[in-house]
Amino acid sequence: MNELTPVVFVVDDDPSVGRAIKRLVESVGLEVAHFGSAQEFMRSQRPDAPSCLVLDVRLPGISGLDFQHELAVTNTQIPIIFVTAHGDIQMTVRAMKAGAIEFLTKPFRDQDLLDAVQIALERDRARRQKEAGIAALRDRYESLSSREREVVAMVVSGFLNKQIAAEIGTTENTVKAHRSRAMEKMHADSLADLVKMIERLHALHEKAS
Amino acid sequence: MISANAGLTGSYDYGEVARSVVIAAAASYAALDLAGRVTAARGRVRAAWLTGGAIAMGIGIWAMHFKGMLAFRLPVSIEYQWPTVLASLSVAILSSAVALYSTSRQRMGLVDALTGSLVMGGGIAGMHYVGMAAMRLPAIIRFSPLLVTASILLAILFSLVALLMAFDLRGETRWTAWRRLGSAAVMGVAISAMHYTGMAAATFVSSAVSPDLSHAVSISPLGNNGIGIVTFLVLGAAILTSSMDRQVEAEVRQLNQGLEHQVAERTTQLEATNENLRKEIAERERADEALRKSDDRLRLVIDTIPVLVWSKLPDGSADFLNQRFREYTGLFIEEGLGEGWLEAIHPEDPASSIDVWRAAFVAGRPFEFEARLRRADGEYRWFLFRGEPLRDEVGKIVKWYGTTTDIEDRKQAEWSLQEAQEGLAHVTRLTTMGELVGAIAHEVNQPITAIVTNANFCLRQLASAAPNPDKLREAISEIVNDGTRASAVISRIRALLQKGTPNRVVVDINQMIQEVSILLRNELARNRVSLSTDLASDPPRVSGDHVLLQQVLINVIINAIEAMRAIKRGPRELLIKSAGDDHEVSIQVKDSGTGFDPLQAQRIFEPFFSTKSEGIGMGLSISRSIVESHGGRLWAESGPTGALFQFTLPAHGGGVS
Repeated sequence: MNELTPVVFVVDDDPSVGRAIKRLVESVGLEVAHFGSAQEFMRSQRPDAPSCLVLDVRLPGISGLDFQHELAVTNTQIPIIFVTAHGDIQMTVRAMKAGAIEFLTKPFRDQDLLDAVQIALERDRARRQKEAGIAALRDRYESLSSREREVVAMVVSGFLNKQIAAEIGTTENTVKAHRSRAMEKMHADSLADLVKMIERLHALHEKAS
Repeated sequence: MISANAGLTGSYDYGEVARSVVIAAAASYAALDLAGRVTAARGRVRAAWLTGGAIAMGIGIWAMHFKGMLAFRLPVSIEYQWPTVLASLSVAILSSAVALYSTSRQRMGLVDALTGSLVMGGGIAGMHYVGMAAMRLPAIIRFSPLLVTASILLAILFSLVALLMAFDLRGETRWTAWRRLGSAAVMGVAISAMHYTGMAAATFVSSAVSPDLSHAVSISPLGNNGIGIVTFLVLGAAILTSSMDRQVEAEVRQLNQGLEHQVAERTTQLEATNENLRKEIAERERADEALRKSDDRLRLVIDTIPVLVWSKLPDGSADFLNQRFREYTGLFIEEGLGEGWLEAIHPEDPASSIDVWRAAFVAGRPFEFEARLRRADGEYRWFLFRGEPLRDEVGKIVKWYGTTTDIEDRKQAEWSLQEAQEGLAHVTRLTTMGELVGAIAHEVNQPITAIVTNANFCLRQLASAAPNPDKLREAISEIVNDGTRASAVISRIRALLQKGTPNRVVVDINQMIQEVSILLRNELARNRVSLSTDLASDPPRVSGDHVLLQQVLINVIINAIEAMRAIKRGPRELLIKSAGDDHEVSIQVKDSGTGFDPLQAQRIFEPFFSTKSEGIGMGLSISRSIVESHGGRLWAESGPTGALFQFTLPAHGGGVS
């Protein structure tokens, strides 16, 4: 798995603040992209890499909080760290409930921001990995023949090779062959591994339906 | 009829006989005539007529009789004893009186008539035979009883006829005179017949005895004629008198009738007039009744309409209060009249002073006042007093008419609305304030955030193994820029309050206090705060922004009102005082509220400090900024009876910093 350079997006209408945050975050070896508004951010070409968003609540046009909501609606998954000049409890609660990583009041401690950025990136990275794993598993499952899928389904349900053979009207040896080939295709080291993989796929399938 | 049985044969002088018959008729006529007179007369006049009539008639009858006697001639000389003659005359007069009396009565029944005729007939017969008894002649008179009786009966019969005729003819009519004449002729003949029947009853026998000639006189022809003439004169006089009396009576009656007619006419006129008057009175009464009804109706309307109604004299004293007015205030009519009703107006309201009313009355225009009026149970409610003058033809005000309408509910509604509006305004103000504060925070926070962040970056660089001088320089110069920027933001906010007020004018503090009092009048009334002012006479003017300074005063007063809201009992009093010398003017606002902790005296002017749950603590802070931007000071003191806020402003022309 090739690890891409993470990117921190900063959205703040004050260029001075934007530059300062960019400078600080870059100093810990992260890539930073600064935007003056939410719209500007949405129009940009963003690299497919772990990323997070440092978002000012008070912005020209759409506010930070509303932007957070919009991102959720459009299923754009990106961890958000809010920074604001004056935040109240209500605002903070709303932001955190909606899944914000952190809510920082300006001026913030540099370490607080950097810690929040690290957490956000880690979370995004995990999410990306999880999403990537599921995609691979599905690809592998797709590569199985229909007979192999049939055999796998009965195996994970606890049937013995002999029973499966009787069921599908073939020999026990043929079932064994199908089973080992499916294990190979699915990258399963053991039967337990295979059962886990199929359960995961089932869970995704159920979730999707 | 001559009985010459024993010698003496009498003869009649027929001329004398005729004269006697005429006398009888004349006497009868007089009797009939006099009967009418006696009947017509009353009282003493009647007695006089009766007496006079009886004498005249008696003389007449007697004269006829005597004439009849004289008409009888005997061959002897006849003398008459005069006392007996007088007695016979008396009998004649008495019987005439009875006859006249009988016929002159209102009614004459059969018994009356018979009695009258008996008396009268008896009288005449008596007179005849008494008259004969007066004869003195040398002969003996013998009487035939049959003829005597016949003569008496004739006398009574003729008397009866005469009485009936006289009674019948006593009324006065046109033909009465002729009928009387006829009747008199009949009666004359009848009397004569009786007389000569009586004479016939007597037989004269000559004797040698000479008669007793004492008191006897001989009747000479001259005497005989004298009797006739006197009799006629008496009768004529009686008839003439009677006739004149009748004429006078007729004239009097005519006059009376004329008078009566006039009286009747006048009476008719008077009655007509009376009737008209009665009608007029009835009409007037009906009109009065209608007016009274109309008055009652009007009074009912005035007393019933849901408004207090009054009228006042030009000096402001009430001369009428309707029933609702009296019921509402609980004042008796005599208590409310004059200036008594003023007592029911809330003493704090200007309208409780008669001078305010007088001023309105003197101005002479329709006016409106709002004032609280005490209800009978002691509660005050807001009322609207409206007055309208009534002028006479020269334009002078003679009276004021007005209504007083309960506007408490409307007032409450207005206040509620106002409160709602104020609440809204407060929210808006808070929002605005919040936004302002937010803006200030944001404006200042941005450069500070950049500074802090950049500074942290620098520290990290310096702490690293190989600091990058270019990056450090870059960050530090940004720090300098942002520091400058933060300072500029603060300057800009200050400038907003300070130099950003181009409307510097000369301000009269007293006038401003009055303006603000008017602006806050409702707010004060709604919170039941009574405001009093103690203003310096002609304090120096100050130079400043009128609106901003007003804002400061409003802020301070609102603050005081809000501080007094907690007072449930006890007065809510606000005193605004102005004072000034050559250098500065001071304004004090003192409330009767709970005051504040003296330790907080300085803090209450800090931004975001508030002792009020809903306050955000910017009001006094901003007020102080405004005052200080005008070169003045604003501070607060708390005493046992409330808080005192005061601010000073430099006098205009007296060195504004």
